[in-house]
Amino acid sequence: MLEVRNLHSGYGRVPVLHDVSLAVHPGEVVLVLGGNGAGKSTLLRSIAGFIKPTRGAVMLDGRDITGQSPEINARQGLRLILDGHRVFPELSVSDNIRLGAAIRPDPGDFESLAGEVLAFFPILRAKLRSAARDLSGGQQQMLALAQAFVARPAVLLCDEPSLGIAQALIPPILEFLKNWAGQGVALLIVEQQIDVALAIADRAVVIERGAITLSGTADELKRDRRVQDIYLGLGAADRRS
Amino acid sequence: MDELIIILVRGIGLGAVFSLVAMSFNVVHNASGILNFAQGNMLILGGLFGFFTLPQEPELVRWLLLVPAAALFYAAVLAVQGWVTLLPLRSSVEQHSWLITTLAVSVIIGAVILIAQGPFALSVKSPFPNFALLGTRTPTPYALAVVLAVAWYAALHWFHTRTVTGLAISAIAQDLEAAQAAGIRVRRLQILAFAISGAIVGSAGFVAAPVMSISADSGIIYVLNGFIAAVIGGLGSNAGALIGGPLVGVASMYAAFQYGGQYQNVVSLALLIGVLMVRPEGLFGRTRARRV
Amino acid sequence: MTGLRGPDGLSDRAQLGLGIATVIASVALPALTGNPYWSHTFHLVNLYIAVAVLQNVLLADAGQVSFGQGAVFGAAAYSVGIASSLHGAAFPVAAAFGLLAALALGSLYALPALRVQGYYLGFVTLSVAMVFPELLVSFNDYTNGINGITRAVPALNVPLVWGLTPLSLLVIALTSGTLAAHAALRRTRMGRRMRVAAVSPEAALALGFSPGHVRSAAFVIAAVGTGLAGVLYVPVVGFLSPSAFHVELSIFFFFSVIVGGRGRLLGPILGVWILHLVPNVLMVDLVNYRLIGYGVVALMIMLLFPDGLVGSIENRLRRRLQQPGSADVGVQWIMAVTGTGRAKVAPAGTLPGATPVVAVDAARKAYDQVIALDDVTLAVMRGTIHGLVGPNGSGKTTLLNVISGLARVDQGRVRILGHDTTRLPAWRTARLGVGRTFQTPRVFDDLSIWENLQIGADFGRDRRRADWLFAALRDVEQRWRAQRPDFLPHAQRRLLEVLRVIAMDCDVLLLDEPAAGLSPEERRDFATLLSHLRDVLGKTIILVEHDLDLVWRVADRITVLEAGAIIAEGAPERIVNDPKVRALFTGKRDA
Repeated sequence: MLEVRNLHSGYGRVPVLHDVSLAVHPGEVVLVLGGNGAGKSTLLRSIAGFIKPTRGAVMLDGRDITGQSPEINARQGLRLILDGHRVFPELSVSDNIRLGAAIRPDPGDFESLAGEVLAFFPILRAKLRSAARDLSGGQQQMLALAQAFVARPAVLLCDEPSLGIAQALIPPILEFLKNWAGQGVALLIVEQQIDVALAIADRAVVIERGAITLSGTADELKRDRRVQDIYLGLGAADRRS
Repeated sequence: MDELIIILVRGIGLGAVFSLVAMSFNVVHNASGILNFAQGNMLILGGLFGFFTLPQEPELVRWLLLVPAAALFYAAVLAVQGWVTLLPLRSSVEQHSWLITTLAVSVIIGAVILIAQGPFALSVKSPFPNFALLGTRTPTPYALAVVLAVAWYAALHWFHTRTVTGLAISAIAQDLEAAQAAGIRVRRLQILAFAISGAIVGSAGFVAAPVMSISADSGIIYVLNGFIAAVIGGLGSNAGALIGGPLVGVASMYAAFQYGGQYQNVVSLALLIGVLMVRPEGLFGRTRARRV
Repeated sequence: MTGLRGPDGLSDRAQLGLGIATVIASVALPALTGNPYWSHTFHLVNLYIAVAVLQNVLLADAGQVSFGQGAVFGAAAYSVGIASSLHGAAFPVAAAFGLLAALALGSLYALPALRVQGYYLGFVTLSVAMVFPELLVSFNDYTNGINGITRAVPALNVPLVWGLTPLSLLVIALTSGTLAAHAALRRTRMGRRMRVAAVSPEAALALGFSPGHVRSAAFVIAAVGTGLAGVLYVPVVGFLSPSAFHVELSIFFFFSVIVGGRGRLLGPILGVWILHLVPNVLMVDLVNYRLIGYGVVALMIMLLFPDGLVGSIENRLRRRLQQPGSADVGVQWIMAVTGTGRAKVAPAGTLPGATPVVAVDAARKAYDQVIALDDVTLAVMRGTIHGLVGPNGSGKTTLLNVISGLARVDQGRVRILGHDTTRLPAWRTARLGVGRTFQTPRVFDDLSIWENLQIGADFGRDRRRADWLFAALRDVEQRWRAQRPDFLPHAQRRLLEVLRVIAMDCDVLLLDEPAAGLSPEERRDFATLLSHLRDVLGKTIILVEHDLDLVWRVADRITVLEAGAIIAEGAPERIVNDPKVRALFTGKRDA
């Protein structure tokens, strides 16, 4: 279970996040919405340890992991999938996956590890020997997911999984995430586009200029027209209520 | 014609030593963006290892056993140097301290050699007789250096493509953040990279000792030529190092033959400036340098 | 400006005084007490200090890694020796040759510095330093090889007064001169340029000068001082041999700066004293351990005191002397201050009313396979605020870069203020009157707050036109000269950057995500500032922003980009209601 308490963070001297709090329970999918520059990526990076928060706390299963390096967090069960479908371009698909599993105490054999995710993304199995840079953006995103999946994290942070992906490939990716949560993993997903991930989310929050200004269940937010207004930068006075 | 063959053969042999230095640069640079200036003097130390451990009468078995011994010994030494070099980079804003700390270590090693052994070059006797090649008599260490260079190239290639640890180091070079996100212990592997570079230069110094100039002063020559070899081939590429080394070696030998030994380094310098002005990324270069 | 207190704790002026006093004392005392050994030693030490000061300028001020100053020093010395000893030239004539030789070699370093930096440059200069003594030996027909050259200059050693000889006076003059020159350099445009270019070549271009020119100038300056020191080496030591100019000399100069503290005026003195005096003089029996001394001391310093010894002392002083409180750079205050400039900054140049101030025609740009700009046409009219919005990767920052000159279009044209700037280097475009701010404010912590402003005016279009601004800031001048911006919170750094752009006297302001990191109140104030810049000062502003609220509030016209192409353009009211735009930002098809 992931808990973020009163987090303040930024990069260099630039303050970005102000007093952000949220919680994600095992099996839950929580969506972080917000426009460009709102601070969504900064939030995930601050939780994962790429950025050290200036104030506040990040708790993993009750343990304070604030500011811990990403490597240690990954080994303790908190994994971030970076935005931009980043994988290791010169390594093969199978080596990429293998590296994902490297942190497990008992790696087992490749097939038992990866079988499940390869069944879901057959294209990866077909390209097992290809270098990752020869894959399309969407396939690389699948590979990034597979790489994280075999590590069996308890908490997964996913930064804009749909960015730069062909429309057709987005639903299988989201479905995969939904099933993954179903296995008891706590999922925190950042998404730019309002419609895309609300379908699979349980709850959602909206970040505006570094602070959470709206939150609720996915259904509530789907119908709330204020969400759109926030995205369009319409000032509070202009907002439809 | 004979002379040209000698130049070619010895140039390639000498170049193989440069290739080994270049490969040791690459390992560390790929993992951390650091260029370890002390590699040249570490090579000399490898030669000294030979000086102290080889018996008067050459014995093949003993020699064979000492090669991995030298490699292991200097792997340890460089792991320590790596740890020291990486220490200030953890927290301070000074992200280029490695430039000075590696240079300082190089200076210290040179000074210690000077005090312990004096300023004159030491010679190590080759445990093998000269062999005949294309009508010339060539000291065997030249050929051994070539064999070692190819062997290390193959070993590194195997390491980086077939072992999980090697894959992880390769991953750090390709995308540092993604590697961190995947839980790869970057610092630890960077120290391992230093250790591997130590194994390379340690074994190289030991094997090539009979044909090397082993003195307090010569480390800088090897580090510069090794750097030029790395740059020509493309910093970060071991295939490039394998090609760049002999290029520099042959040019160096030719300069010595044509103009005299004192001009070898001028030619190397000219090569360096030429490459940097015309094509700084070298033959196979990746232009990205890893952040520490 | 007076006082011992400076931005660093101990001001440059105080350090300069202390340094010169040390130099004079170290030469005068042995002369007065008639001690030839210490006299000779400190003559040499002070020559080394002069070279180290210039190395400090190169490394800390200009950011250039040079391991080759020992070769420059040696080139000067040997030229003097060859000319005067082997060819019988009079000393002054030989000295001229020495200076020329140093200039030639030192300036040569500038060439690779234009292509590569950092450790590459270090390796090149180190190679030169290594090759230099070898060449001296090889060309022994000209240099007498390892036998060396003997040359005394008796005229310089005639005692004048109190035991001081003309040579002593020359040494004092040279070393004090280099210290004074370093201090003076920092107060000039050139000095500011060097330090800005060392930190951010991009910012240098945006401020109107070329980092390459500045680097070359730094090498030339260093060559002059180092050459003079090399010239004086001959009368001081009286004997030249290649082994005196071994590569370790260059390393010694570099390490002296590091150990003493790079960038600190007193650093070279402390560094040379520690690395030369201690092993060479106090531990004479152990002179072979000198090299280990260099290495170990440098290593320890880097591990324990990354800022060098003087630097660490200064940091401690600073923490105690630092004045609390902010610099009060607030929007209301800026508006009041700049409001006085209404009459004085009528835009320069005449453009017919309907001609756009900034015009981009059919611009195309691709990075490898990715199309950054796809047939983009833009026209920005005088005295308007034009917003550029779009998702990440839409090309808005590329468009800004193309206008400011930091990137070049593959096809198309860019015209600014009537000039075709398509192929113009960025720094020339800046001088036409184009100012730019960056996502992370390019505020230089190595300069004082006041100097951060000055660098804007230095290469602005017309320096006198910025005088009204500096006059209006007279009240804070004293305080800002003594403060560094590193304690300023982000919002004030942003405003300082804007103030600097005003000091540049530009007509066109390019702002790259200026609101990032500002709180909601700060953003409202910033919007007010932008309107003030447009209405009172007549600036034309192009604004790249993610904060749509801010853009709707201030922009007169908005261009919306997606994947490098324009999908909408017009007044804010129209854009906000455009269904394509709504779909783009919300991802909802039923907007």
